[in-house]
Amino acid sequence: MTFLREVYRRLRWMAGRSRFRSDLADEMQFHIESRAEELELGGASRAEALAQARREFGSRLKAAEDTSGAWQMRWLEDLSSDLRYAARAFRRNPGFALTAIVCLALGIGANTAIFNITTSFLFSQPSCRDSASLIAIWEGGNSAAPLSDFQFLRDAHLFAGTAGINFEREVNWRDGDRTSRFYAGTVTDDFFSTLDVPFLLGRGIAPGEMNTAVLSYRVWRGAFAGDPAILGRKLILEGRVYTVAGVLPADHRSVVGYGIAPDIYIPVANPDDYVQLYARMPKGMTRPMARARLLSLFEQLDRIHPKEGWQRARQTRVTSVTGLDLLRQMLPDAVVAFFAMLMIVASLVTLIACTNVASLLLARASSRSQELAIRLSLGASRRRIVRHLLAESLLLSVLGSAAGFAIDIACAKGINNLALPVPVPVHLVVSPDWRLLWYALGVVLVSALVCGLLPALKAVRKDVSHALKQGERQTARTWNLRSILVAGQLAVSIVLLTTGFLFVHNLLRATSMNPGFDVRHTIWAYMRLVPEQYNEPDQAKQMAVVRSALERLRALPGVESAAIARRVPLNDNCVIGTQLRADVSTTPIHLQYECNDVGPDYFRTIGIPILGGREFTAADRKGERPVAIVNETFARAVFGKTDPVGHTIATNIPNAPAKLIVGVVKDSKYFTFGEKQRLAVYEPYFANGEPINLHFLIRTAGSPAAWVKPINDALGGLDSTAAIETKPMSRALGLALLPSQAGAVMLGAMGVLGLILAATGLYGVLLYSVSRRTREIGLRVALGATPSDVLRIIGRHCLVLVGSGMLTGLALAFFAMQPLAMFLVPGVSAVDPTAVFAMIGVLGAVALLASLPPAMRALRIDPMEALRYE
Amino acid sequence: MSEESPQLLPGTLYLLILRTLAAGPLHGYAIARRIKACSADVLEVEEGSLYPALNRMLLKGWLRAEWGTSETNRKARFYRLTKEGHEQLAAEASEFNKLVNAIKLVMRTA
Repeated sequence: MTFLREVYRRLRWMAGRSRFRSDLADEMQFHIESRAEELELGGASRAEALAQARREFGSRLKAAEDTSGAWQMRWLEDLSSDLRYAARAFRRNPGFALTAIVCLALGIGANTAIFNITTSFLFSQPSCRDSASLIAIWEGGNSAAPLSDFQFLRDAHLFAGTAGINFEREVNWRDGDRTSRFYAGTVTDDFFSTLDVPFLLGRGIAPGEMNTAVLSYRVWRGAFAGDPAILGRKLILEGRVYTVAGVLPADHRSVVGYGIAPDIYIPVANPDDYVQLYARMPKGMTRPMARARLLSLFEQLDRIHPKEGWQRARQTRVTSVTGLDLLRQMLPDAVVAFFAMLMIVASLVTLIACTNVASLLLARASSRSQELAIRLSLGASRRRIVRHLLAESLLLSVLGSAAGFAIDIACAKGINNLALPVPVPVHLVVSPDWRLLWYALGVVLVSALVCGLLPALKAVRKDVSHALKQGERQTARTWNLRSILVAGQLAVSIVLLTTGFLFVHNLLRATSMNPGFDVRHTIWAYMRLVPEQYNEPDQAKQMAVVRSALERLRALPGVESAAIARRVPLNDNCVIGTQLRADVSTTPIHLQYECNDVGPDYFRTIGIPILGGREFTAADRKGERPVAIVNETFARAVFGKTDPVGHTIATNIPNAPAKLIVGVVKDSKYFTFGEKQRLAVYEPYFANGEPINLHFLIRTAGSPAAWVKPINDALGGLDSTAAIETKPMSRALGLALLPSQAGAVMLGAMGVLGLILAATGLYGVLLYSVSRRTREIGLRVALGATPSDVLRIIGRHCLVLVGSGMLTGLALAFFAMQPLAMFLVPGVSAVDPTAVFAMIGVLGAVALLASLPPAMRALRIDPMEALRYE
Repeated sequence: MSEESPQLLPGTLYLLILRTLAAGPLHGYAIARRIKACSADVLEVEEGSLYPALNRMLLKGWLRAEWGTSETNRKARFYRLTKEGHEQLAAEASEFNKLVNAIKLVMRTA
């Protein structure tokens, strides 16, 4: 405290410095005159008295100096003078300063951007009050629980509040004569009050309300043009009227995390709905306590409403709503590993950037060794000089990180506007926050130390007299600290480049991969019906819609065929793991397989060849004999060499009838391009039903783009409340390509960045070595060396650096690539000889480019001038 | 003359100034004169160290300075003890007495 108060007084003193000086002069004048008056009383004359008083006082200048010395903050003034000196030096040598700042900006910008993405995806803080007291409840280990269980939990009053949300719903919004679809979060009526979510406009859904809605900022700005009078507006959602109660702010982050943000929130209405459970712990409750109470509650619930084959209390977990705890619950390890790898790669880029700057500073320090030696011999302390050099690197890193931060903000803007092609509403809200600020600050300080300390220590360790004699060693010593740094940079950049190349290769492979069906002539039309309008138990009404939709589609000119399917491959999937018994064997086997319900003509429409048997027909429907079609991998796994057509399969569910296999189709991709070939079973669409989300596939004679509008019109005429989205299949592959694309973009960019930085480093070290060896080269030329001899000198140096860096890098890459295999699509090997050759080629070309200007300079050396250089 | 006066123990200048100001605010010249008078002309405060010391004390917050009129009707800067200054005086005085008694004891017995 006292220290702070002193600093405050010093600052105030600094502000009023000129006033202080005149005051002090007045004060001393008063002192002298008072003394003179006293002497006059003793009988001296006025002049004598004044002279005597002045003599006694001594040097007023020194007294003033000492007095202001009491106030000064030496370190601050030294620092500012050091910084001014450094800035002046940079202005004299702008090329050096600019290179260093750009290197740091790229390195730090890349690092903070990656850090930003990672933290906002993995560790986002939900927008609510006191997230530390919130818990996520995993009833029976599941992410969602039936609404009835939520109500039981709420009525038990174990917690200070409960909340439930299902963020995977969709609703149709009827706007005039148009219908569009929103991603909706259906929430329990205590959701907003328990979480205490901040609002931009209005408020949340209040307890007891069944017909209010909350808009996200995105939808408010997009669909409603930021209407300031939005509150109270009536919306027709799913055929029912809702009133807008509030709008969430732009930086709202949902409690679910991972950037998941529904377009709109409405109260959960359907009693069969499932919700994710959240609760707010009262003061003093800990997570283990909460879990213990929940366990006894769920045991009670198990007794009252038992569920067959499932006990709620078993495996029930309680986690926090942020941090690693939640991460392990929700995300596959591969995703976390991917982000960890990104962080490592970004740190490597920063490392290269820092060593680049260190080597620039090193070069600068040794070319200034004479200046430093003069300053040392004139009496500057070593500490002073080290501090001065450190101030230079501090200035560089502050400027560099400011530029890097600007890059990062630009990246954040880009990411916020990014619409990811995923079937859940993921919108990352990336904003530079305090974590990022600390992180950037840490990066800056570490880089300042790394960049500054080495050259500074090296500069003052030098023997003064040695340097003064201009006795810089001008021999061809290849291996000094700078060369080691550059070789190390090249090695690291090879690792980065190999990784980037691998992922780009992976993307190319994934893009050119055949999904096993035709995407060039097919269109996907998604028609979402409003459930409330089709709620008869026999589903006759929607079956009629499906039938007339198919008739209309088939009647369109140029349409070759049309079919309906429960799921569209590479966009949605369903995996069943079960005990399965085939009639060729008595022992059941455990299998995991993809399942889909498809209508007649599906395989012809999507272009999957039928290898044996037949397609489903209109006759395969409810009440008829259960049939199935399998893919060839399934056939091989279950029936071996036997033709499965005519055989039956049955799951171990009691009373489930055996299904007759009527066809075998060719393998295709089901969810991602990278997946290993999976087993698949198709069942007739009209045997199972529940068609609310209707996915039509249409095969056209020519390019599908021209049919989008006619199809929309044909389907729209059937039911004006239905939301329809139609797009060519070739544009619906975004989700399947997303992992490969993300990997290729991020790691490819990092690889290129690393290479550029390392090339700059190589360029710098070669240029520096040429300037250091000007005399030697001049002498050689004077003694008859030809230009090719001169080039050989530079070339040898370059070759040694690049060669050793390349060998080390390839060896490192070989080990670093092994664990990356988990991210790659089949057929792309982590250790790829073409990648190695490409790498050698690229690095060779870049090295050649980087050594060209230094070589030119070496060739231009004039022997006469070089020798006179002394 | 000042060469003949004994060297002040380090740190005692603060104590002397604090003690002198305890009676009431004074300007710099008066402080020096008062110290000299009270010590029967033995202790003479050098002007070269008086003003730096006063300013260090201002910095520490023991003193406050304000402009006023001197007994000769001239503008002068008066120094006044703050609350912290009084506390500091009490602490330093007891510390100093302890030290002096200890030295005396050593001088008598050793």
